[in-house]
This record gives sequence, C-alpha cells and structure tokens, in this order.
Amino acid sequence: MMKMHCHMCTKKIFCYTVLSAALLVLVTACKKLDLAPSDRYTDLTFWQSDNNVNSALNNIYSGIYTSDRIFYNEALSDNAFTKLGGSSSVDAISSGNFTPSLPRFLNDWGYYYGGIKSCNIFLENVDKNSSIADAVKNRMKAEVRFIRAWHHFNLMKWWGDVPLLKKDITPDEAKVAVRAPRTEVLQFVLDELDAAAAALPANTQYAKTDLGRITRGAALALKARVLLYEGNRMSDVVAICEQLINNQAQNGTYALAANYTDLFSDKVINKESNESIFALQYVPQLKTWGDYLDFAPISVGARTNNLSPTQELVNAYIMTNGKQISDAGSGYDENNPYKNRDPRLAATIVYDQYKWVNPDGSTQIIYIKPGSSPAGQGANEYSRAGQGTASGYYWRKYWDPNYSAPGFSSGLNLHLIRYAEVLLMYAEAKNALGQMSADVWNQTIRALRLRAGFTDAGALDFPGNVSNMTQIIQNERRCELAMEGIRIDDLRRWKLAETVLNGWAHGAKYGDASVDNGYIQVQLRVFDKSKHYLWPIPPSETSLDINLGQNFGY
Amino acid sequence: MKNAMHTIPLRLRFYAFSGIYAVSFLLLTVLNLPAQVANASPFKAANFYQAKENKISLQIKNEKLQAILEKIEKKSGYAFVYSNDEINTEQKLSVNAKDKNIGDLLREIFTPIHIGYEIVKDKIILKPAKTAVPLAAGSSGLTSDFIPEAATAPMKTDTLIEGRVVDENKNGVGNVNIKLKGSTLGTTTNATGYFSLRIPDDQRNGVLVFSSIGYALREVPIDGQKKLVIQMNAESKDLGEVVIVGYGTQRKVSVTGAVDNIGKKAIEGRPVTNLSTALQGVSPNLIIQQRNFEPGQGVNINIRGLGTLGDNTPLVVIDGISGGDLNLINPNDIESISILKDAGTAAIYGSRAANGVILITTKKGRKNEKPTVAYNGIYGVQTPHISYKPVHAWENAYYKNESLVNSGLSPAFTPEQILELKNRGDGDWRVDNIVHDAGQQSHNITISGGGPTGTYLLSAGFLDQQNNFIGPNYGYKRYNIRFNQSNEIGKLKLNTILSYVKVEGKDHSYASGTLMVDASRVPLYYSFQDSAGNYLTNPVSAQFNPKAILEKGGYRKSNDDEIFGNFSAEYPVIKDLKLRGVFGGTVRSNHSFGRRMQLNFIPGGVYGDDREVFDNNFKSLFTNIQLIAEYNKTIQKHYIQVLVGGANESYKQEKNALYQTLTDSALGIPTSSTKIDATRSFNSNGTDLSDGNPATIETSINSLFGRASYSYNDRYFAEVDFRYDGSSKFAKSNRWGFFPSASAGWRISEESFMDGIRSVVNNLKIRSSYGMLGNQNVNAYQYQTAFYNYPNAYGFNNTVVSGAGYRLGNPSLTWEKAATFNIGFDATVLNRRLDFSFDYFDKTTSDILYGRRDVPQLFGAGFPDYNVAKVKNRGWELRANYNWPGKLINQTFSVNLADNLNELLALTYGASEQVETKEEFEIVRKVGQPITVYQGYKRDGYFQNLDDINKAPRFANSTVTAGDIKFKDRNGDGVIDDKDKYILGNPFPRYTFGFTYTAAIKGFDLQIFIQGVGKRDAMIRGEQVEPFHVGYGGTMYTHQTDYWTPSNPNAKYPRLAENGTASNKNNFRTGSDLYLFNAAYARLKNVQLGYTIPARITSKAHIQKARLYVTGQNLITLSKLQFLDPEITEFDNNESLGAGANSARAYFMPIFYGFGLDVTF
Repeated sequence: MMKMHCHMCTKKIFCYTVLSAALLVLVTACKKLDLAPSDRYTDLTFWQSDNNVNSALNNIYSGIYTSDRIFYNEALSDNAFTKLGGSSSVDAISSGNFTPSLPRFLNDWGYYYGGIKSCNIFLENVDKNSSIADAVKNRMKAEVRFIRAWHHFNLMKWWGDVPLLKKDITPDEAKVAVRAPRTEVLQFVLDELDAAAAALPANTQYAKTDLGRITRGAALALKARVLLYEGNRMSDVVAICEQLINNQAQNGTYALAANYTDLFSDKVINKESNESIFALQYVPQLKTWGDYLDFAPISVGARTNNLSPTQELVNAYIMTNGKQISDAGSGYDENNPYKNRDPRLAATIVYDQYKWVNPDGSTQIIYIKPGSSPAGQGANEYSRAGQGTASGYYWRKYWDPNYSAPGFSSGLNLHLIRYAEVLLMYAEAKNALGQMSADVWNQTIRALRLRAGFTDAGALDFPGNVSNMTQIIQNERRCELAMEGIRIDDLRRWKLAETVLNGWAHGAKYGDASVDNGYIQVQLRVFDKSKHYLWPIPPSETSLDINLGQNFGY
Repeated sequence: MKNAMHTIPLRLRFYAFSGIYAVSFLLLTVLNLPAQVANASPFKAANFYQAKENKISLQIKNEKLQAILEKIEKKSGYAFVYSNDEINTEQKLSVNAKDKNIGDLLREIFTPIHIGYEIVKDKIILKPAKTAVPLAAGSSGLTSDFIPEAATAPMKTDTLIEGRVVDENKNGVGNVNIKLKGSTLGTTTNATGYFSLRIPDDQRNGVLVFSSIGYALREVPIDGQKKLVIQMNAESKDLGEVVIVGYGTQRKVSVTGAVDNIGKKAIEGRPVTNLSTALQGVSPNLIIQQRNFEPGQGVNINIRGLGTLGDNTPLVVIDGISGGDLNLINPNDIESISILKDAGTAAIYGSRAANGVILITTKKGRKNEKPTVAYNGIYGVQTPHISYKPVHAWENAYYKNESLVNSGLSPAFTPEQILELKNRGDGDWRVDNIVHDAGQQSHNITISGGGPTGTYLLSAGFLDQQNNFIGPNYGYKRYNIRFNQSNEIGKLKLNTILSYVKVEGKDHSYASGTLMVDASRVPLYYSFQDSAGNYLTNPVSAQFNPKAILEKGGYRKSNDDEIFGNFSAEYPVIKDLKLRGVFGGTVRSNHSFGRRMQLNFIPGGVYGDDREVFDNNFKSLFTNIQLIAEYNKTIQKHYIQVLVGGANESYKQEKNALYQTLTDSALGIPTSSTKIDATRSFNSNGTDLSDGNPATIETSINSLFGRASYSYNDRYFAEVDFRYDGSSKFAKSNRWGFFPSASAGWRISEESFMDGIRSVVNNLKIRSSYGMLGNQNVNAYQYQTAFYNYPNAYGFNNTVVSGAGYRLGNPSLTWEKAATFNIGFDATVLNRRLDFSFDYFDKTTSDILYGRRDVPQLFGAGFPDYNVAKVKNRGWELRANYNWPGKLINQTFSVNLADNLNELLALTYGASEQVETKEEFEIVRKVGQPITVYQGYKRDGYFQNLDDINKAPRFANSTVTAGDIKFKDRNGDGVIDDKDKYILGNPFPRYTFGFTYTAAIKGFDLQIFIQGVGKRDAMIRGEQVEPFHVGYGGTMYTHQTDYWTPSNPNAKYPRLAENGTASNKNNFRTGSDLYLFNAAYARLKNVQLGYTIPARITSKAHIQKARLYVTGQNLITLSKLQFLDPEITEFDNNESLGAGANSARAYFMPIFYGFGLDVTF
C-alpha cells in the first residue's frame, strides 16, 4: 500500500518524462503534409501529354457557343417571344426595359472572355509539348485562333469597342485593360481568320474522324460574315463567297443539302451534309442540348412553352407563288392562313391544326386555336391562363425525332454557318453592289427555294431587278435562317431594329378583334436607336476596371 | 512532516493523477500540499500543525469522498490512510458541519456510508464497517471498534420513525444521509427513498437532518410524528461543477473564457430527431437555422453568428475526437455539451476554432454502481403545417379575368363558366393532398454500471421518422449503438468508446421543392387523378403530376454507416504529472441508390423517361492521434495546471458514382439501350463531376497545443492556451500557424470587502479573454494550379471527346485569423436562486479566404481563394436561470438572449462590393454592411392617378398604370435606375432567444420551451408573393387578395396584371421591398407534461422510476410571415451568394404530438 518517493527521484522522473513525452509528440505528429490530388495535372506536367493537349483543345471547342444563345437570341429579334425570360432575361432586352446590370450582359461578356482565355493559354503553352508533330500543332493553333477570333467578333458585335486580348493577361492587367477601337478589333479578327484559313485543312482534307473540326472553309465563311456585318465591305464579301462557291477544290466541298428539314432533323444529314460549314457538335445521349422541352407543343411532352414564334415571322413566309402575303394577288386567306405557304413555314413552325409527326411515324393534330380541340386534347391550345404557347405557335425546326431521349435531349448539331448562308451573303453583297443578276439569283435564292420545295416559277424565277430586291433577299434570309440566332444580327446591321423592334410583337389571331385586328399582343417592345445598337458594358466590370468606360446612353 | 506525506495512500494519489475530473486532483493536491511545502517549496507552511483546528466547519455538497477527505485533512491536520480496495472514495456526499469536533464530524460522515475509522496519532485509518448493514436498519450498525463514542455511550432507541424521501417529482431519492441532529444516530434511504430509524423516546421532538448529493440540505423537526415524507430539492448550483473544455475539464468556478455548458436535460423528452435541431434555442448565440424540414436534412449551425465569408461551421468534437456529426449521434447518449465561444476556451483547437467548438461528452457508467437499465421512448405523429391556401376555383377564374382585363386582354372565363366552376366545386390538386400525417418514434435502452475498477455503459437507440409526403414509406431511420467502458489496471487507466450508427433513408426520386410548387400553384379547377385513377396533367402543371411522382415515380435510398472509436490510456508517470495517449477515429461509409420510374400522364407529359438508376458510394476515414502531458500542482492556495500535447489529424475520403439511364423499366437493370452517364459517373481516382473536386481527397493537420492555467485561492485566475498547426491545405511556406490566447478571471465575491453581501451576491466573477483563432475550412489542393479532365466535352464525327479545364492555384494561400476578445461575468444571487451571466465579444477575422472580386471578368477565369477579406463581428449573450422552490410547486425559469452583428471590413483587394442577382432581387456583399445583405428598390406607394403617372419618377421606357408600384428615387434624379437601389435587409437572425419554464408539482412535471428570433429579414419571391407568378403560377392564394383597385388604393399588393405587361414588369420583375418580409418569430418549440408514478407503486415491480409524459413540438408559431415558415432560410451557414432566391417552396414544418415513457430498472 505505501510507497516511498524521494523528491530528487521525482524531479528526475519528471524531466525524463517530459522529454520522452515531447519526443513522442514529435514522432506521432510527424505526418506528411504535402498531399497532391490524384485526378489532375499540374501546369508543369500537363502539356507534355498529347492527350492533354487534345483535351485542352476540345475544351476550347466546347466553349464556342451554347444552344440557348442560338435559340433565345431569336427572342431578341422579331422572330420570337420568350415569356419566362430564359437565358438571363432576354425578354427584358427585347422589351427595352432593362438596366445595365441585367445578368445577360455580364453572362455574355464573361462567356466570350472565358473562351478567349482558354485560347490564349493554349497558344502560349502548346509548344511545351514536344511529341505532337509540328504540322498537327500548327493546325491546332489555327483552330484555336479561329475560335479566339470568333469570340472577339461576338464581343465586337454586341459592344463595339472591346478589350482586344491577343495574349493571356494577368489579373492586374485585366484591371486596367482598355477597350480597343472597334476597327482594331475588326482588323485583328480578319487577320486571324486569314491566318487560320491559310493553315487549316479544307473539309475534304480532314479524316472522317475529325468531322466537325474547323476548316479553311469555316474561316473564310466567318470572314465573309464579319465583313458582311460591316455593311461597307461588300466586294470583299463577294470575293470570299466566290472563293467558297467557285474554288471548292482549294477551299472545301460545299453544297446545299437536298432536303431542308433533314438538315435539322436527320441524324446523318444534319451532321454529314456538306452544307454544314461550322456547327456546334453534339453526340446523341452523351453530349446533348435540351432546349426543345420548352419549344415543342405540350402534347408531345414539352413543359411550359418558353419560346414562341411571332405572327411577324409567320407572315414573312411567302406564298408558294412567290408573293408576299400582303401582295396583291398573293392568294393569302386570313381564315386559312397556312395554306400555300413557303414549305419552310411548316418545317419551322407549328401552327393550328398542324400535323405533327411523332418519332414512330404516327401523327397527331396540334390544336392551338382556343376551343378548337376535341375533348381531352386541349393542352396545346392558346390560353392566356395556360402554360402553352404565348403566341399561338410552337416550333418544329430542329425537333429531334431520332431518339425518344429523356427530356428532349438532342444530339443534333446546331449550325453556326452553313452553305445556305454563304449563298445568301453572296446574294446580299452582289445586290448591294448593284450586281444582282439572274445568274446570281439562280445560284442563290432560286437554289434555296428549290431545295425548300418550291415548284412555282413565280417563286423560283429571277424577278428581274425589282425595286424590293433588298427586301426579298432580307426576307429570304429571315425565313431560311429562322431559329438559327441570326435574325437579331441582321436587324442590327440593317438598322431595322429601331423599326421592327418598337411596338407590339404579335401572335396568332386569337385575341380581341378590336385590338390589332385580333392578333394577340404578345409583348410591347422598345428599341432606342440612340443607344440600343450597342449593349451596356456590365457595371460590375466598369467598376473594377475604370478604363473600360461605358457605351453611350447607359 | 515526511510521515505526513507518506501516509497518503498510493491509491489515493493514483486517483489524484488519473481522474478525468480536474476537481479531484485539484483537491487532492491540496491534501498533499503540506509535506511538499515543508520539503521543497519556497512557500512556508510553518503553521501546519497549528492548522489543526479543534472545531471544524465544513460545507460540502455533492463531492467525492476523496475530495472531502482532503478538505478535512487540510482543516484538521490529520491524514487519512485507507485502501482503495476497501473504501470507495468516488462516492459523492454532502457534508454540513459547523464547529464540530473531529470525532463528531467523522461519525456524521462515515456512519451512513458504513465506514469505520480509527484515529492513530495524526492519521485517521479508514476501514469498512465489519458487518453488512441492511438499509434502513435503524442504527449505524458499526462495531464498537470503530466508534468508540458509540460504544461508550449506547442510547436507548425505542421510537421507530419511518418515512420516505422524495424529489420534486415525487420520485424516491436513494442514499440520502439521515441524521438525528446532535446525535450519532443516522441511516440512509434505500433505492426507492424509504427509510426507518429508531430514536430514543426523548428525541421524539428532535430534528432530522437530510443530506444527499445534488440536493439542498434539509432539517426537519420530528414533532412526534412517526411517518414522514420529506421532499428534497435539487441543488443544481455547485461550485464543484466541472465543465468540459478542450482536452480536459475545468471547474466551472475557474473558467475564464466563454463556455456554455448544456446538460442532457435540455434535450430529454423532446421529439427531436437529431442533436443539431435539439440545440436550437438552448444556448445564447448558438444559432440553428433550417433550410427545410424534411426528415434527414441537415441544418445551419453558427456560433456567435458569421465571422467569415467562408465556412462558418463550428468544430464538433465528440468524446475528444474532432469531426463528429451532430446528425448521427444519438441525442439520448449525450451527457453534456460544451459550447466554446471565445478564444480563451477555443484557442487550444487553433486553426479550426474560429467558428467556435462544440464539445460533446457521452454518457458513461459510474464506478461502484449496480447495473441500471433505462428505457426511454417517444411515439407520436407529425402533422404537416401548410400555412397558405389557394383561392377557390371560381374565385381564381374571377381574379384571372381581372388580371387579363387589366392587361388589355380579353377575359378567359365567361360569367357562365365561373358559375359552372362554382357549382362544380374545387378539384383536389392542392398541396394538402400530397402530404399526410406521419409517425415518428424513438426508443432507447441504456445499461450502465460499474465495479471498483471499471465502468460500462451500453446503449442502443432507434429512431424512425416517417416523411410527411405520401408515397411508399418515405422516411428516415437511425440505429445507434454505443459502448463506453473504462478499466483500471494498476495505475493504468484505459478507456474505450465505440459507437456504431446506421442511417437508412428513403425519399422520392425528385426535388421536394418542385413537388411542393407543382402541387401548390395549380388552380383548383384541376384534380390529380381522374375517376379511373389515371394521373393527370393540366395546362399549369403540364409536364408532371407530383402525386404520381410521389406514389410511383421511384425512390432514393441511403444506407450510411459510421463507426467511431476512441481508445485512450492514461498513466501517472509521477505524482503531479500524467500522460495520456489517445487514438481515435471515425469510419464513414455511405451508400445511396436510386431509381426513377417512367410515368406517362394524361393528356400529356412524362416523368422519368430517362429511367435512371444510380449508385453513389462514399467512404472516409478520419484518424486522430493525441499525446498529452498534464501537470497539476497545488501549492497552498496556488494552483497550477500545465497541459501540452501533440496531435495529428488525418482524413481521407473516396467516392465513386455510377449513373445509368434507359434501364429496364421493371427491374432497372441494364439493357442493350442502357447508357452510362459519363457526365455524372466517376471512379475514385477521378473527379466528382457534381462539384469539380477530386473524388479522393486527403488532408492532414499536425499540431502542438497547450494550456497553462494558474489560480489563486479560487479568486484570481489566469490562463494561456495555444495551438501550433500545420495543414496540408496550404503550401509549405504558409502551412504553419500559431494561435495563442490569454484569459483571466476574478471572483470578486471572494474578496473580503464582499463579506457583508455574500449572502445576497453568492458568487460574482468577471472574466475576459483575448486570442487568435484560425479557420482553414477551404477546399483542399487550392494552392496548386491544376488541369482537370472531364468527359463529354465535345463531339467530333458523332463521337464524344473529353476536355481539360484549367483551375488557377494560389500558392500563397494561408490561414484565416480571428482576433477574438471576450469579456463577461457570472453572478449568482438571491440565495443561489438566480444566476446569470453576460458576455460581450468582439471578433475581427482577417485574411479571410475568398475568391478575388477585384478582377473584371474579362480576365476570363475564376479564382481560387485568396486571403483577402476582413469581417468584424460583435455581439453579446445573456443567460439567466431562476429556481423558485415552493412548498407545493417547484419552478425554474431560464432565459437566454443574444445578438450578433457582423460588418464586412474588406471584401477582396480593391473591390468593395459583390452583387449577385437572384431572380428579381439582389444579394450583395458590400464593405460597411453585414456580410450578406439584400438589395433592391424601396416602394413609395402606388401610382394613383394620371398626375402621379406623369410626375413621379419611374424606370426609363416603362409604362405604368394606376395601381402600379412607385419606387423611391433615391438620388432624386427623376428616373428610377440602378442607382436608386437600397440595402433592404440582413438575412441573418438577430436577437435570438430561448426560454424554458419548468414546474414540478407532486408527481407531475411540466416543461415549456420557447425559441425564436427577434429580428430577421427575408426576401421571398415566387407564386406566394406574385399572383399568377410569371407564367408558372396558375392560382392566387387567400393571402394575396388585398390588391390595388381604384376602390382599394392602399392595398398590400399592386394591381393584377399579366406577366409580360409593363405593369407586371414594373411591379413584380423589379426587386423591391415588396419581396421583403419580417421573419422574426417566437415558437412554442416544446411542451412536455409528465407524471412520475409513485415509487411505492413502481418499486413493487422493481422499477426505480417510471415517468409518462405527453410532448409536443413546434406547437405554435407567432410571426408576421404567414405563408412560409419564418425559420426557413435560403442560405447555408456562411450566407454564400451562391444561394438561390427563396421561393417559399421548402418542405414545410411539421408539428409533432406524442407521448413518451421513461423507465429505469
């Protein structure tokens, strides 16, 4: 029970214990703290692998553009209306009732500059890789330079003067970046596209496995579009279009697809037709877009309709005889308005009593007119109180019948530039230069209308140098390219936005007969020509970089 | 003098160094003191033997015998000698002696506990009494060998007094010492509180003294009665009370920091399903918020509000091992919880303590305690509380027409149609029809006890909370098993804690918020099913039918396991120094599996056509090694404690996920069309594609830590704590951080100048602390720049290719540092009936890890965290408890109230503001404001007439109509634009409070618990605010009908107008204080009414205690916010700007009614 302790012992033991304790502490606490993740590369090792270089390039491709920008930009124009806002409140822009802090502006700005950064990082680092053949590396660089030019072009399109980033910038450089004059950005875009065109293979020179890569033809076509948008470079546009049309051995083989609908819905033609010059590539079930869930009639499985074609767009489609519906003798019947119309109307838009073809080939009638449907089939009807169309129309173009995939997810490619547009650019430029001729007509408008399914000579034959040739070409462009996100660009460069984007956008004739002749008033629009041709620089950007300044009027 | 020291039995010393309770060794070292002093210390103890008093006064309540012995030694100069094998010095006693001689004192103490004693020179030898004494045997039963006084003066004992001692709840109290005052006669009560005692006839009018641990001493005149029922009142306040602090315990009296101790009583009897919800309202500034009330959901926990822009989650330490999960521990297993709030208490946890620390101690068995079996169970029903109602179908048609007409459109319904709707009545498509009452039950069994060298506790718990959604058995089940055991092998003390938790959850296959909204915003024209039972859709919910999804749409099941272990060994190397080694850790293994079934609706719409099947696996291992040396020394009135330790904490988690779509519709197995969803599936060496983080994450922290505390005479206290941490989350050069704190306390009440008022001010202490705490709650690996690969980036030739993204690193990343100041006081007044404490804190956190916001987005990439932001957080806490014992009824009142308010001092480099648009309004981080605030326009009434419309400021290009909202033109420039926005509110709760009332009357007990928030702003949007919300909402609600009309110009809401109209745009697409709500509330959180069956009945069934009670949770809520539970927040606990706007679609709050049973055998 009892035990003696002497204090000297105690002290010794104490010291010893403390020492050993400290030692033990050090031993137990000695755990390695340099831990690295297993799933990622550091910037030192990353570029050495060929696979990684390819992946970095693929990442740049994936950031070219988005499906919602393509589709919802239609609602910025007079082609469509979005009732739920969608894509960062596009409806606020079209109504003119927005402030510079509207998210859409910053979203786009950040999106394009994010893409540019990926490009610059690639261009500045890819030479760290020593195993990829120089020829391949040069091709890759040209692809990246094309995409960098594309982003700058988009920025310039919306904002005018924008920072021009030819190299990767540091955070500090970003804080003092200045906006380059639009002319300087334009020149950079053109130079880069020239350089890319020189280095890139034509579509025929790529292996099949590279289908979808950027080609020399794409670089030329984009350059043509850039110049077309300038309005005063029409002879350059003509020259480039002629290179594409006439020198296909050099620049790639392009032609119109035989069938308009197939170009957007056929799983092979959509991807492999040589009408496609530059397209966002998708893969069924693996890399898909799903916007159609908000576009299609409710009865085919869609949810709340969020992008409705306008009556104005419907009206733009000419009669099969080639006349505008408002033309004398057009044969247009307001009570049977969809009869004898441009076949592209039915290929693009779902109207009342449309015969919808289901994936299995069966059909259903889409009843949209209020009160017109048989019992139990009212889901698609236009109703102010419902979740169907806001305008009396749904979309059909780009509907994907190939896969009854979940949530309307589609693997169809989305065209960014196709040969039809080259033909239209050619027609427009030639006409602007006063050089429209039967030859040009036949090469362009007639070819498009033939392909669309027109048979009537009134629609196909060159009408001569009519006074409204400009409008005919503009209208052709609108109908051919509807739902491809091009219309708002056209309205802005033609300075038509101030005309057509003011006042009511309309829907079908399901409204109060005393108001606008019964056509539904869908949205009241305001386009202030003094400022709305340019977007505001996002205020959060101008506050972080005072060098940016602001566009007029904001 | 040497002899005096050496008479201290070795065992006794062992206890001194080995006990986990600081109080024991503190007092024992007091006992050791004289010899020590005489030999070696500079302190003089010349009067040691003079210290022997002839008369001894001793007032001790509820202390261990060993501590009492020490005090007697100190006062008397005698030393005790005994064997631990024979004498249980762990038992607790109360002593109330005034001016007693040593013989009387010893007799009073030892007689009832059957210990004999013998005084030999300056030693007192203790032996067990030789014969076993039956309880209530009447006399002491001690042999004359050990009670010479008794032997020499035998008393005549011929009156038998019988009785029972009960507590406030009329439960029998065992082991109460009963003494006949002024004599040596006494006895103790048996386990059920009964006693009998023979006293001499001439003492029939004497006084009996009842004393027991934890109870106030009572003196009861016999007055000739032979049957007595004595009620003893709990004495909860005790200077000897200990609180758990980091890596040890402290006597409450010596605590210098801000630590709040929560006992198990705060949790017991409440039908809470996890500990985190149980803690709401029980401790000031321990702020618990919920994002929804669905079973199995976590909560936001904040201690003292928000101190950082990063993760504000407090460190949770369960039984000494950090990283515990409050949602997994069985609340029934908890003995006590300490909330460490300031640097003084938390600095020993260093780099992870900036958000406060929650220390949880689980129940253990007690030494020398016979096996006890306790059962606790609660069974009840949860009723969904949905506080909004859609208007009747026909009314809705009327409103819709008005909205259309106001928008210049033709009405949608003819009067005949409205009449028809009225005649037909409402459909059943409403949220009330996708919810039902759901059962909830919990059952716990605890077996505990202990022998002389060991203790054990084994508990098993089961919780079953069913989900209020209809559908096949959705709910949450938790199984807990816990085993706590301690063993002594000689001097070595071993402790083992093991626990196992299994959680089984099942819920539907969709998003609860979407189900809620799909069920609640469809007008009552529609029903979920037709007469044939087919599930329908309608123009408002055109795609999905929520009832069908719940009933047949598939499920998600979780099956999670957690194993926790803590093995510790403690060894007293020398007298004042002990070493403790701890190895502990947690293994978590979580698995979830889910299926979505395809459902086709009539007339259209399809759910689950992807027929997805998924598996998610998660496994983590956390290990913690600690080695701690603790040195305690008492030199006279000086007490010194030094603790140093080293530790490593390592964590590794691995995950994988497999998602398959287009599986077999019956079994969910792969078919030829089945696809693996590569954008969500990943292996453990890959990237978790849901958040972009590595699927395998490994982190580690090496630490040195310590505490040195000093106190003088229980009057002056000083303490320093530190921790030195190295974390793998930072690069080598920035890895180590030092986090010190210093604190001091002064018990003013012990000063002689307080002597006169000590009976009023029983205790008064002021204390203060200052120190530096750290925070490293950031994602791992951020200091390294990295490229990560992801699948399905793009396609070439209809074949997918993967992509590689770039993630910037920040090699200079390091700790957040929180300079924390605390000052507070504790006071006990009014004869110990009222005690209260107050704390004020001021914390400035700098180097807060936050992304850069100073760089415009044209930079082109996101940023990792940088040490850039700075936040000041100030607040206070008040706690008060009042005990009001009465003859018939005993009542207690306790209240806590707290406030906190933070201010953003710096955001990031040059940028002082970050604005995130959330639907209509904005949430903002702005220097000079609280961390996260709402921003938007302020309303200024309505445009009432043309004059208004022409003159009042409005948005450029907007068209307004009478009945539209006017906004305040803040800068007076005549136009409403971005510059006119105001900071509208602070979404973090302020003036949080809790109030508890208990009452005990005879066998009945009542507990009422109220909890609430005094001030909180909530911005809420969606269909509950906006009639016919955008295009999605199809119905109005009864709370929306007060809208502007010419005859109702001061309405709550603006005029009805369709989405897309200028009016709608102005009124509802503009983020204004229209969407701002006052989310203050007070909630009757819990009411318990219990009855304890008298022990005289239960004891016949060998039941020590049986209590039945009814209990209710969330019974009444008072709030101005009516259509949504005011507690629900859209934010996580750091108010991240990533939060989505609150659209009032969260799973509702259930109200619980049930009953419970506690039985102890």
